[in-house]
Amino acid sequence: MSADQHDRRLEEVAAFALGALDAAQIEDFREHLAGCKRCQDELNWLAPAVRALPEAVEQQSPPPELKVRLMEEVRADVAAAAEQTRAAERRERASSRKGFREWLGGLDIGGLTWKPLAGMAAVILIVAAGVGYLVGNGDGTNVHTTEVPQPNGIVAEVINEDGKGELRLTGVEQLPKGKVLEAWVARGEAVEPVEMLFTPDEEGNATTQIEDLEGVDAVMVTREPTGGTKVPTTEPFVEVPLES
Amino acid sequence: MPWIAKKDPEAFEVFYDRHGGAGYSLAYRILGDRSAAEDCIQEAFISIWRSGARFDRTRGSVRSWTLSIVRNRAIDALRSKSGRAPKLTFDDDAILESRPADEQTEKEVLAAETAVEIRGALSQLPSEQSKVIQLAYFGGFSQSEIAGMLNVPLGTVKGRMRLGLEKIRGELAEGMA
Repeated sequence: MSADQHDRRLEEVAAFALGALDAAQIEDFREHLAGCKRCQDELNWLAPAVRALPEAVEQQSPPPELKVRLMEEVRADVAAAAEQTRAAERRERASSRKGFREWLGGLDIGGLTWKPLAGMAAVILIVAAGVGYLVGNGDGTNVHTTEVPQPNGIVAEVINEDGKGELRLTGVEQLPKGKVLEAWVARGEAVEPVEMLFTPDEEGNATTQIEDLEGVDAVMVTREPTGGTKVPTTEPFVEVPLES
Repeated sequence: MPWIAKKDPEAFEVFYDRHGGAGYSLAYRILGDRSAAEDCIQEAFISIWRSGARFDRTRGSVRSWTLSIVRNRAIDALRSKSGRAPKLTFDDDAILESRPADEQTEKEVLAAETAVEIRGALSQLPSEQSKVIQLAYFGGFSQSEIAGMLNVPLGTVKGRMRLGLEKIRGELAEGMA
């Protein structure tokens, strides 16, 4: 890289630190940053200024009800986790381990049965096998994409990049106030919430990140109250079986 | 934050009391709407409650980690509302947070008596530098979007961002001296 080209890179450090690089440039810049000591030093120098920016904001007092709602949800989580533990213990005692297909056919989580999805899941498994594809992206990582049509015109796509995932939905209806989308990952019989809640944009596109797709048999999505829940409270309207 | 791994609601309440106000202020600054800021804080803090065990102390302070989560949520909400695609990812925050100067940074911020001195540093910036920084950080706009909005060349936006951040950084360093 010539000195001029590098100086242009250096100019982009501030934009990167501010999260203002254009989407198409981010990956490219990250790759450059990983191998460029001068840009790393510049970022080291500027990063504290970016982290200081929130401190410059005029302070507002959050309404007390916000804390009340938050703590209600936290305590509900604790109660749900305790219930999950008890349920797991009951299942262990029953010692009848279900396979994934059987699980899809009759999983009971907190009183919620997903039987209606069993038939659809079988169809989806076949469809998914036809549209999954694996590509190398040139930097040594592998990207596997599974695209699965869903009921009601929704298309779900799970992109697996070396174990980290992104779920992209299109054709999603707008949510009523107080509702968010929450994704779930199933590993065997265990169903866990995905950390990042998400909402559709005006065009019905919705995207969330899945930290870890290792060993995941299926990705599902439900509509949940703002803040999400620890266990699904509605039936999933999206279901993407994955090849483990 | 071992208390999160232990799922201790009382410890979480203390955590909220310490950082909830700063988080709410930041969300309100970005979203400009109290109800939206409340939703943002509820989502951000619940995500911390559920995933806080992933916090890596070597990467920086709890406060900067918390505020970066709030900022990402708020910008996502802003972009979602305006139909713009999400851009900044958690990975980028991880890169920022993993800078080795983090520990020093926290001291610098505290020594600068945080809000007052940083506001002073921002207010001393030429308005064109302050504007691009605020549009990027609090508005979630990319440098190209900002160039279009201000009708200036992209290179000008890059230069203003860099100069502005360097001045703030210089003020922080002076506050330490």
